[in-house]
Amino acid sequence: MRATFIRNIPGLLFLLPALILFLAFVVYPIIYNVQASTLKWDGVNPGQFVGLSNYLDLFRDPIFLITLRNSGLWIALTIIPQAMIGFLLALALNRGIFASTAYRAIFFVPAILSPVVVGIVWQRIMDPFNGVLVGVGKATGLTWLSGNFLGDPNAAIFAVIAVNVWMWTGFSMLFYLAGLQLIDSSMLEAAKIDGANGFHTTVRIIFPLLKSTHLSLLLLGIIGSLKTFELVYVLTQGGPAHASDMLPTYAFQHAFQLQSAGYASTISVVLIVIAVVTSLSMVRVFGTGFITGDEK
Amino acid sequence: MTATITRPERGGALSRKKPHHSSKISGNRRWLHVVLVPLALLWMIPVIMVIGLSLLPSHNPSTTFFGMFPAAPTLLNYLLVWQQNPILLHLVNSLLITVPSVLLVITAGSMAAFALARLRVPLRAVFFGVLILGLVLPMSGIVVAVFKILQALSLYNSLLGLVLVYSALGLPFAVIIIRTAFLAIPHEVFEAAVIDGANVWQIFWRIYLPLAHPAISVVVIWQVMMSWNDFLLPLVSLGDNHLKPLTLVPLAYQGLFLSQPGALFAVLVLISIPVALVFLLIQRYLVKGLAGAIK
Repeated sequence: MRATFIRNIPGLLFLLPALILFLAFVVYPIIYNVQASTLKWDGVNPGQFVGLSNYLDLFRDPIFLITLRNSGLWIALTIIPQAMIGFLLALALNRGIFASTAYRAIFFVPAILSPVVVGIVWQRIMDPFNGVLVGVGKATGLTWLSGNFLGDPNAAIFAVIAVNVWMWTGFSMLFYLAGLQLIDSSMLEAAKIDGANGFHTTVRIIFPLLKSTHLSLLLLGIIGSLKTFELVYVLTQGGPAHASDMLPTYAFQHAFQLQSAGYASTISVVLIVIAVVTSLSMVRVFGTGFITGDEK
Repeated sequence: MTATITRPERGGALSRKKPHHSSKISGNRRWLHVVLVPLALLWMIPVIMVIGLSLLPSHNPSTTFFGMFPAAPTLLNYLLVWQQNPILLHLVNSLLITVPSVLLVITAGSMAAFALARLRVPLRAVFFGVLILGLVLPMSGIVVAVFKILQALSLYNSLLGLVLVYSALGLPFAVIIIRTAFLAIPHEVFEAAVIDGANVWQIFWRIYLPLAHPAISVVVIWQVMMSWNDFLLPLVSLGDNHLKPLTLVPLAYQGLFLSQPGALFAVLVLISIPVALVFLLIQRYLVKGLAGAIK
């Protein structure tokens, strides 16, 4: 017993700094949230215990359904286009064409910008009065470009999603470039000798070989979608009339604008449960080695 | 048509130099530029626009080219933001948040990764569970709790509090990426070093950490992006204006910028330059570092 403990000491010491940070800022906030989700609480004065009634309220809350729908839309409409464009860009740039480093930097730059920067510039681009899209629409006769995308309840969430695709496609491209590096060129050589053309090689050989890249991007994409806050906050603040609200923005409104910290915690707990269940079941189903790195 | 399919230029992940391509091959690929150039230009429009509008003079707000460029460009805005707000102070605040959080994440993250990859650790599964929790935890979901914790530790209204929170939230990604890189280093390296009399810390610090530099560059850019670009946490946990990082300047001086859109965009340029510099410095390691991580 004692000997085992002594052999564990180096490992524990190496884990210690990370463990302390995790306990203080990951584990404790989760426990805090769970506890606060049982309170009717304004965030300042002592709360009043109400059991599970916050959860019952949440499941009957029509805005909760909107946020779930928006999360679903966000997952489908960001992950697929980002992966498709990113994959094609990676294929093009992996061939060692002229200026491929410059192209790579150009497509990745949006991802390194602050959501503050992205939000302010896209608001100006989509401004219904003197924005860039309106100007282009007038000049080309494409009147649909003159819409008030961020202010229209039916369009707002799609407008924010489009900005997200612009921002994060370069990230998918970088992942696929990395995945392509791992493909053994002799395999492609063999396909070529067997008479496969470029399209067939790409679809039948390269695409399946990138399975772990697809899965990593899918997992990160789902987690990222569920966590999305900044872009929505700076572009629409979840509006108009909650049309573009996501779970995190809705929780934020309750915590800091509507003074109902208990309800906000309930939303956060539900969000954490959804995110954990989704990512764990993905790890289970696909055996993705992304988290543990153990499986191939 | 088989001539268009050619094997990838870089033989494997490890081959360093690019093989020469024959003129025939590059000739076949030139058509890609016909697609890539317009797409790259389209992609850059918002970026070009930020830079363009930062040159917009406040006395003449007329623009050309669909509102993307000022009619009479001027560099005065950069002077103006310098005089109007303590920009240098906010820049220093951003640095004081970002640099320590990057260092802390690299140190604590690679130590934890080393323990999980090469040392005996009890309850590994529990640690991985917490790791996944950290990965999926949305910042907006924990701000209320974090706010209370920082108050209890008397770290509310302090930059150190932000450093600790960003480090904790950046750790899961760092541990996952660096651990995979460590696992790729043959175990014989560890055993040989033990036989040579190196202790665990020396093996970690002198051998494993330097060998994992592509993975670490991925963690650096990720952590810089998170801690430099975030505005939510400073918004709720910093009360004093003089502590605020650059990203809060557009919000903190909103009224001021209403009449000076050019100055606002100049601030946006200033926010973006440091991250762009970090990216340019380490971008050549990024693909290799990610390649190690998704194997």
